[in-house]
Amino acid sequence: MGDFLTAAFMLGILVSTVRIATPLLLAALGELVAESSGILNLSLEGTMTMGAFAGFLVTYRYDNLWLGLLAAAAAGAGLALIMALMSVTVKVNQIVAGLALNILGGGLAFFWFRTAFESGSSRDVPNVDTFEFATIPGLSRIPFLGGVLFDQHWLTYFAILMVPVVWIFLTKTRYGLELRSIGHNPEACDMRGINIVPRQYVAVVFGGVMAALGGVFLSLASTGLFFPDIAAGRGWIALAIVIFGNWRASWMLWGSLFFGFIEALQLSLQAVEFQVPFFGDDYQVFEALPFVLTIVALVLNRSRSRSPLSLAIPYHRGER
Amino acid sequence: MSDQPRTSAPPEQPASRSLLMQPGGWRLERRLYTSPFREFTAVVSAIAVSVLAGGLLVALAGAGVVEAFRSMYDGAFGTWNSTLETLVQATPLIMTGLAAAVAFRAAIWNIGGEGQLYAGMAGAWWVSDLMPGLRPAPLLFVFMFLGAALAGALWASIASVLKAVYKTNEILTTVMLNFVMTSVLSWLLAGPWRSPHTFYYQTERMADVTFLPRFFQGSRLHWGFAVAVLTAAVVYFVLRKTSLGYEIRGMGANPVASRYKGANVGMMIITVMAISGAVAGLGGAGELLGLHHRLQMDIAVDVGFTGIIIALVARLHPLGVVVTAVAFGALVNGSTAVQVTTGIPAALVEVIEGITLILVLLAAVAARYRIVRPSSAHG
Repeated sequence: MGDFLTAAFMLGILVSTVRIATPLLLAALGELVAESSGILNLSLEGTMTMGAFAGFLVTYRYDNLWLGLLAAAAAGAGLALIMALMSVTVKVNQIVAGLALNILGGGLAFFWFRTAFESGSSRDVPNVDTFEFATIPGLSRIPFLGGVLFDQHWLTYFAILMVPVVWIFLTKTRYGLELRSIGHNPEACDMRGINIVPRQYVAVVFGGVMAALGGVFLSLASTGLFFPDIAAGRGWIALAIVIFGNWRASWMLWGSLFFGFIEALQLSLQAVEFQVPFFGDDYQVFEALPFVLTIVALVLNRSRSRSPLSLAIPYHRGER
Repeated sequence: MSDQPRTSAPPEQPASRSLLMQPGGWRLERRLYTSPFREFTAVVSAIAVSVLAGGLLVALAGAGVVEAFRSMYDGAFGTWNSTLETLVQATPLIMTGLAAAVAFRAAIWNIGGEGQLYAGMAGAWWVSDLMPGLRPAPLLFVFMFLGAALAGALWASIASVLKAVYKTNEILTTVMLNFVMTSVLSWLLAGPWRSPHTFYYQTERMADVTFLPRFFQGSRLHWGFAVAVLTAAVVYFVLRKTSLGYEIRGMGANPVASRYKGANVGMMIITVMAISGAVAGLGGAGELLGLHHRLQMDIAVDVGFTGIIIALVARLHPLGVVVTAVAFGALVNGSTAVQVTTGIPAALVEVIEGITLILVLLAAVAARYRIVRPSSAHG
């Protein structure tokens, strides 16, 4: 039983932990900014799917990964704009708006994919070449850590870099602090002359772009493929990470790594056919774990919650 | 979260409060009173625009729009049998739609219809497994449906008890519980409940006595549809004519007032979620006993989520849910036919559903406002 506890096995788990955590981290950081402004955007799952698809389609057509990345960002921004229009301008219930966009994003990607790739006679699975690993010279030679941290996709570095960026933005800059004030008390901000609407638009669009980048990581970095279930609940896990991390930027990193680790562990144990106590070879237990833990975290964090006070409550000027 | 959809907006603010300033003095003004008719018209026009958008998508995908619409109609209502099959598709959607509508009326955001539906399936299966010899058959059905309702209600209660006791956000817990249910089910199907006679992760086929009777020879339409319509009538009656229904609507319209009035909000949350979960669970039992006769993964994919859309498009009205569910059932059947005749992917359904929901939401808000000209502006 102990033969799999080798250094190589552990290293493999850690390398895939960082890889699996990347899309979660990107989406969670974006959602953190959107939620900080008081807008709960539940459409991450659909946005990730759409991002993954837009990136895949453009890369497939034009054979250019960077163009694909741009397309994904644009798709994420587009969906987020609809979200912002509905929640900020029209003030539709945000939960409902988010669910609607989830369905639209996922459905549109699925529909478009089938239209673009399966109407012809060829039934081959379409695929593209993925981004190459961006190995950092020197640092990647560090034993153990080098492979885990410095031999990854550049989108992974970007995601990790965005942690301090978002943290500084939300806690040290005037704009970020104002954004968080809007999330807590939009009325007070309005009275102070802070222009709420454009800020919420910016925050929501940023969130959408980040989620779409998380999605495009799945299609253009991880797999080189697109399939309708490519997000596989990651959008929801990212939402969970925001709660799990109690709306702190640094905790988005720890939360993503933690959930990434659970999945990496599951995949690795599955590969060596490890028998889980009581559950045997049914690895579904691990798949449920992030969701169960989120519920536990929701309960445990309740008194210390740093959730924006006006989260998901539309602001109508001059009411109450 | 208090801004839940309602059938008619009460005059809660002065009419002079304009929200969007328009150039030249034109502006939007909130109506004092929105008639249900106006709101109905708005929703219907939103649906019409969504259908047009669907046609546009078909055209973009390179197929004949008229041909696509015709085969969609033929697939959904073209023959007696396809009409019945549309009702088969609508059956679980009615139940998950009602489940969502009941909870949303009380401003409780139960997104867990999917998990609760599967819990109901598992509950019904468990009862049939525990007491296979229970007779007469009607008694067995009563117990299986009770088991389903109980299982759905219990699964929903995890979220509602946490909300009542710890004030945890039920949207997130119910979404998470959907995923947990998937895992629980796949564990049951891989292990304890797995049929030894099959390669697949599924249970044994159920005994013939547990099959819900069908209405007509040669059609799959089963009594689950009658159960669904009956449930809709009961939900309508409870919401409209009972004190519980009054409290549910009160809680949705004005939670603060409900609390001041002395309503036990915690108990209400648990009751409403239990009802909602039970209805979704009954829907699961209907699918299991009417169509599938064995427990499997993926036998009702996205039915819970579609139920949410249906409830919202129907503006949370129980009878509207039945009509909308039949329309969505028609869409599912019709788009399968469209795929066969024109090659347009059946995923078109999801796009139309998404667009419909977005437009209906916007239209419902738009119906509450009117454009005021500078000359006729007052105040």
